[in-house]
Amino acid sequence: MATIVDIATEKALEVKNFEFTYAGADEPNIKKLTMPIAKHSITALIGPSGCGKTTLLRSFNRMHDLYPGNKYGGEILFKDRNILGSKEDLIKLRTQIGMIFQKPTAFPMSIFDNVAYGLRLQGLKNKTELQDRVEKALQDAAIWQEAKDRLRHDANGLSGGQQQRLCIARAIAVEPEVLLFDEPTSALDPISTAGIEELVVELRKRVSIIIVTHNMQQAARVSDYTGFMYLGELVELGRTEELFVTPKEKLTEEYITGKFG
Amino acid sequence: MTHTQKRIITNKIVMFLSTLSALVGISFLLWILSILVINGIDALSMTIFTNGGAPPGNENGGLKHALIGQLMLFAYASLFGVPLGILAGTYLSEYGLKSKLAETIRDISDIMMSAPSIVIGAFVYAIVVAPSGQFSGWAGSIALMIIMLPIILRTTDDMLQLVPSTLREAAFALGAPKYKVIIQVVYRGAKAGVLTGVLLGVARVAGETAPLLFTSFNDNFLNTDMSQPMASLTVTMYNYATSPYEDWQKLGWAAAFILSMFILTLNILGRLFLLKKRGK
Repeated sequence: MATIVDIATEKALEVKNFEFTYAGADEPNIKKLTMPIAKHSITALIGPSGCGKTTLLRSFNRMHDLYPGNKYGGEILFKDRNILGSKEDLIKLRTQIGMIFQKPTAFPMSIFDNVAYGLRLQGLKNKTELQDRVEKALQDAAIWQEAKDRLRHDANGLSGGQQQRLCIARAIAVEPEVLLFDEPTSALDPISTAGIEELVVELRKRVSIIIVTHNMQQAARVSDYTGFMYLGELVELGRTEELFVTPKEKLTEEYITGKFG
Repeated sequence: MTHTQKRIITNKIVMFLSTLSALVGISFLLWILSILVINGIDALSMTIFTNGGAPPGNENGGLKHALIGQLMLFAYASLFGVPLGILAGTYLSEYGLKSKLAETIRDISDIMMSAPSIVIGAFVYAIVVAPSGQFSGWAGSIALMIIMLPIILRTTDDMLQLVPSTLREAAFALGAPKYKVIIQVVYRGAKAGVLTGVLLGVARVAGETAPLLFTSFNDNFLNTDMSQPMASLTVTMYNYATSPYEDWQKLGWAAAFILSMFILTLNILGRLFLLKKRGK
């Protein structure tokens, strides 16, 4: 069984005996995984390629439902309900649990329309309110200064790092409770990466964050908790400073010291 | 001779041969175009656009009947063919994905794209003309629509698939329902490509003659009733050009010129859209 540290604060999500099987796979790709996610904290998921960390992340907003044949098992509790139920309102769930992808995903429209997209989906039509909330989201995502004079310009004219911050602005504009980051800096240069990391730390005050990363230094820099996954199972979840210094599991120690991975 | 010298000579021979082939190909194209332009412009006059067909020997013969007939056949074919093709392409790319049904539709479309257009003419003859007992504009439009459908369907499918799936996921992740993802994000991203497909599809049918021979047939006078036989530029051109009368032959040249310019414009527009898309 995995070693899981006690989480003192409230929990944003609770994964219980979670199983996930991709369409066509013979056995589950994630096996009986149990893991709490702390509220208003940053939880990093690390582990070698194929360990299931992104698969787990994409289960929190039921992204796997977009493709036929994938199967969930067990429970993921969010606000005291199991979000894996077949009656779950996915549209509402995804406004509460937002996601940032590996590559920036600016829509082919203006910067303003990108950020307003989620707000408009929720039926917000009032122009001044839209304007205010777009501005606030852009400020919170630390891109207002660069974007304010070109709000009507095509978002694809921004640099990669700017686009990623735009995507963060777009996600936080709808005020989600949880934000999922899927290797958000793997396509960015070191300076943009530092900017995104700073932003993620800042955002912790308002949302609970789960971040998948290949970069162990990044996990160590930004996260409060770190979960180490291996072959579809959680090996260890600990406070980040403890997990990297005094891991409880031998496998964790071998991974973070670079013996495999 | 050293190895290097050999390579240089081989290189020169290959370059010479490929340049020569390209020149031969282009010269035929320029030859056709120049003859078309010389004879076509010579045959052009205002009366061509204002007067309908006339018996040979009559100075006042024009192409108005064929121009209007062509436009009507073409407009009705596009009116139904373009939305049908785009929606079907959307089904393949967004809903059908790699399912058996979708793959079957793709295969059939590919086969239909290379099917000789005269076969489609014969098919429409059997299912529309023969039961209704007469050639008609509708039959012609249906034949043209069937020819443009697979082209628009497949380009739409291809162009929508070029939109990265992460872009769709990002829209879903904001809580967008599927139809909004398709209309607001996927269509927007693939706009230029889909438009190109539409233009190439309609340009392809604009020059079709064979399927119209079996369906809309022809009429030497102006007719705007789609349930009657209808003139088209292509069939008129065929009839006039093969006739023994010099004034009809001249009108044939004019028809060829107008039609070629129209198709050329559509193709150039299509390519411009594609360029704009790549430039972005």
